Amino acid sequence: MPNNKFRKKKNNVQLKNRGGNLHDSSKTAVILLAPGLIIMSFVILYPLLRAFILSFYNRELTKPNQNSFVLFENFQRLLHDDTFWTTVKNTFTFTLTTVFISVIIALVIAIALDQLPKKFSGLRGLILIPWVIPGIVVGFLFLYMFDYDVGIINFFLQRLGVIEEYVPWLMDGNLAMIAIIVAHVWNQIPFHTLMIAAGLKTVPRDLQEAAFAEGANRWQEFWHVTLPNIKGILVISSLLMLIRNFNNFPIIFTMTGGGPGESTLTSVLHIYKLAFEKFQLSYASAVGMIWVVVLLVMSIVYIRLLQKEY
Amino acid sequence: MIKRKHSSLWYSAMAIIVILTLLWTLFPIYWMLVTSLKRDMDVFDAIPTLWPEGLNIQSYIELINGENPIYGYFINSVITSLGTVVIAIIVATLAGYALSRLRFRFRKSILMSVLVTQMFPLVVLLIPIYLLFVQTNLLNTYLGLILGFTSFTIPFGIWMIKGFVDSIPIEIEEAAMIDGCSRFQIMKKIVIPLIVPGIVTTGIFAFMDAWNNLLFPLTLINDVGMKTLPPGMILSFAGQFKHDWSGMMAASTIVCIPVVMVFIFLQRYLVEGLTGGSVKG
Repeated sequence: MPNNKFRKKKNNVQLKNRGGNLHDSSKTAVILLAPGLIIMSFVILYPLLRAFILSFYNRELTKPNQNSFVLFENFQRLLHDDTFWTTVKNTFTFTLTTVFISVIIALVIAIALDQLPKKFSGLRGLILIPWVIPGIVVGFLFLYMFDYDVGIINFFLQRLGVIEEYVPWLMDGNLAMIAIIVAHVWNQIPFHTLMIAAGLKTVPRDLQEAAFAEGANRWQEFWHVTLPNIKGILVISSLLMLIRNFNNFPIIFTMTGGGPGESTLTSVLHIYKLAFEKFQLSYASAVGMIWVVVLLVMSIVYIRLLQKEY
Repeated sequence: MIKRKHSSLWYSAMAIIVILTLLWTLFPIYWMLVTSLKRDMDVFDAIPTLWPEGLNIQSYIELINGENPIYGYFINSVITSLGTVVIAIIVATLAGYALSRLRFRFRKSILMSVLVTQMFPLVVLLIPIYLLFVQTNLLNTYLGLILGFTSFTIPFGIWMIKGFVDSIPIEIEEAAMIDGCSRFQIMKKIVIPLIVPGIVTTGIFAFMDAWNNLLFPLTLINDVGMKTLPPGMILSFAGQFKHDWSGMMAASTIVCIPVVMVFIFLQRYLVEGLTGGSVKG
């Protein structure tokens, strides 16, 4: 953003000014930060450390007397656990496909909206609605619409001649994956549309005019002027949603519960089921640690990009 | 000024995209409302009617008087969501200000951890939180659930408030300091009034996260009387042999009401939070 350079300069000035009373600063900081740090150490820091420690034990809720140090046993078990590798495949398939499709559709929508006359700008608000709908409602809604018997999707597809017979969406592994991706895409398109729309506003008008004056067609203009200008926003919002999708729980939980079989079991559902349905707290923590590392790496990439871009 | 002239074909294509987008966006919501106003058996018609035949509010009445009243869940959701909002706003405002304006040791590392924790798989934290809550008797309590919700909303809020404080010119505070105001007077009289939009945005996001959260109440609450709406709805409507679609859609409509209200009245803040908070960094 343009005011960021300005902001950075400000911070430098501020540093110099504060040089004299740094001590006062830290005392005030402790007071102001204390409530936040206390709560965060209670619900984030301590749990994280304890989950880390748990992953080296063999704690199970159903066996209260069993709690011994097993070093890497959980991690060795994990390497040979087919379910774990299935969830790795599912998680990446689900997150990458969802984000990719959402971004492409959002790009088309954002460009179309950008062309609209001003008086239709209210439509922009309407398009945001799916994003505020609670996950559990999105899940129930698509569970209903993808239902074999009463689902409106089978009805429409048959009427349009796309399918001859009704399709058991949520009872077939691959179709169920498609169904949950569709639900998430519906939910997430507004986010990307909004981000891209904001990005389109920053494309310099004179560059577009120059491209036109030099005889570029619309596609060339998009490819050489628009896209390079919104590339940063595309990458950052995609990565952010990729990370968020690793943690998405309610829609999948209500639509398929990870099924049929393990075909839509993603990392979050896997950890949840291990810990709270099978009560294998230590093994669940070990699986969780792997995903913490994966997300940590992605977050660092994300933060680096943010700092480069802005 | 040279401008590309658009053919009518181009405009028609754009118009078609916008219409398709609206259909795709709004139809599911329309369908939820229509189904909630149908009678149970009408849902099973081989050829579904795409509009409600009269307003049948039977499903809504059953939500109040039927087997699974959602009234209690609703109250629990309101209490825990508002509790989360209050804690998140207070804690995030204090910490966000400190991280924006003060210089102290570990500032950078605290900032980084605040940012990174927003991206953690929270389900991993939930296992130790569950054990901790068993030990401290916080299972099945409002306080426990609210604390659980803050594991996401506090880091998010701190980052949001910090961004807003960053954008206030420091000169205003420096002038006040020269006039002899203390740090806390500056916060109260100058900074807080200027970052009201940031505080509202933080509050909205905290509310929506708590209101929509399924994972935490599903694990931290097992007493039916303490359940919030999302796990309550799972209890009432999910399961292989339950097919009360109309009731399910009526309950879904009720769950949507508060967030849609926020959407209608506070859209500006919502957009600010969405584009600003997540990306400004």
